[in-house]
Amino acid sequence: MPIIVKLDDVLYARRMTLTELSERIGITLANLSILKTGKARAVRFSTLSAICGALECQPGDILEFVPGPEHDED
Amino acid sequence: MPRSYPGALALTRRILRALIVLNLVMGFLILALLVASLVAPDLVMDALGVRRGGGEGSLILGMRLIMVLGIAAVPLTHLVLRRLLNVVDTVREGDPFVAENAVRLRAIAWAVLGLELMHLAVGAVAAAASSAAQPLDIGWSFTFTRGVAVLLLFVLARVFEHGTAMREDLEGTV
Repeated sequence: MPIIVKLDDVLYARRMTLTELSERIGITLANLSILKTGKARAVRFSTLSAICGALECQPGDILEFVPGPEHDED
Repeated sequence: MPRSYPGALALTRRILRALIVLNLVMGFLILALLVASLVAPDLVMDALGVRRGGGEGSLILGMRLIMVLGIAAVPLTHLVLRRLLNVVDTVREGDPFVAENAVRLRAIAWAVLGLELMHLAVGAVAAAASSAAQPLDIGWSFTFTRGVAVLLLFVLARVFEHGTAMREDLEGTV
């Protein structure tokens, strides 16, 4: 997928673990893991908003578009 | 929150299994009757109350045609019952919204359409074979309900197909 999820980098910069983020925003660790590893097929605005609120960042800090072939993991 | 009825599901499975056996038994009995009507026509026609005295030829032919249609309906009915049992099994396993069920419902819809056409053919044969002197009374009646049921099955198959695709989309959503 040409959309790269950079949640790991932002978490590292904020010295926050995925578990802590999960507890703060009330989204399961399993779902955040799916997002972090780039396996998610879609992200809700509410999820993005909660993550940006907790990490004090912009959506562009978490998601990046890299031109390339679209390939599904299915 | 919808209530679940595990007892109703188990009962439905038992009924469907019983109907599958009953359908095959009925098919075998109709086949036996057809063979008997060819091997010992006098005996069978007497037992069925066919009066002699001319004109019974078309009645006997009509009866045999209806028997053939009855036998042809057995595999279609079997398909409907088996597919329905498979659908009920997916409900029991807790995941009925799968693409396979859309395919099964569409197969059921086609089979029920085939059965409905056979039912119409039986009515036509009965009407053609009947005469004032020797009416062929098989309790046939026409109703729109079955036609509507066929449409409903096709629509339901489409709904399942669409619902499954939507769920697949939602599954990867965080």
